[in-house]
Amino acid sequence: MNFKGALPPLILEALEQEPSHGYRIAQRIKERSQGVLDFKEGTLYPALHKLENDGLVASYEEVEKGRPRRYYRITKSGRGMLAKDRTEWRKLSSAVTMILGEA
Amino acid sequence: MTEFELWLKQATRHLSKDSAAQVRSEIVEHYESARETALSRGATPDEADRQAVTDLGAAKAANRQYRKVLLTSAEARLLRQTKWETRAVCSRPWLKRLVLSMPAVALLGAAVFYFAGSIAIAKGLLADGLAMALIFAAPFLPIYTPSRSRIYRIVRCIAIFGAFGFVFGKSSWLLFSCLYPLAYIEWVRYSIRSKLPVSEWPKQLYL
Repeated sequence: MNFKGALPPLILEALEQEPSHGYRIAQRIKERSQGVLDFKEGTLYPALHKLENDGLVASYEEVEKGRPRRYYRITKSGRGMLAKDRTEWRKLSSAVTMILGEA
Repeated sequence: MTEFELWLKQATRHLSKDSAAQVRSEIVEHYESARETALSRGATPDEADRQAVTDLGAAKAANRQYRKVLLTSAEARLLRQTKWETRAVCSRPWLKRLVLSMPAVALLGAAVFYFAGSIAIAKGLLADGLAMALIFAAPFLPIYTPSRSRIYRIVRCIAIFGAFGFVFGKSSWLLFSCLYPLAYIEWVRYSIRSKLPVSEWPKQLYL
């Protein structure tokens, strides 16, 4: 399913519970959407860099199984942005449901 | 060259050396995890390689996305050049004095020509002097926040266009095409500003 523009809030949601690395973030989004949101993983990192430039996530390096991995964690402003995105999404979703009807 | 190496080559096209290294490291990390997962699910090494590359998607699409958020080679070059120019001027006291005295000389010349009756030349020198003063004095002004930087750039833009209009009058629109290199540099600097966190901006990026 094409969900252009929805990737940043999904990344923030995936990081809300605990810091994670890129591969795990991608798997978490796919698993939680039960495979419906099947995006190309090469576009995940540019989205992560954008979030980092905007100060919504921060990254750090950690050694896992003997090799360094870049981990990402959500920042305070990232949590604020996620809360805002959730509210907007609920409004949009209920408006579209009103027009198209319940599934 | 393997399919994955080809993917990496396409995805890092036109990116700066540092950006390309960063992309390579994170994608290799991702690829290895995807490969290990596929192998643990019983795929053969060939199948695991193919699956990991397929999951990454189109390299060209990733490259387009990367170029929007990471420095390209042209942007990195401009940043290096600006740093070099600033260092070259600031590390030579005589050059610094020369650069700072140019607007004063132009303004003095404007006054001399005005009193000598050459109004047209005086007008030109006055506009040049003011524009140069605004540009050359910038590193000494307290511009160290993004909002001050924005205000300074707007004022500078108005001053440059104003100076052109003031000196060349109605025909100045013909000369605006000469400002193309300036517009290009400003555009590249705008792009660099959007890609680097404010904490990493060098002083010259504020100007």
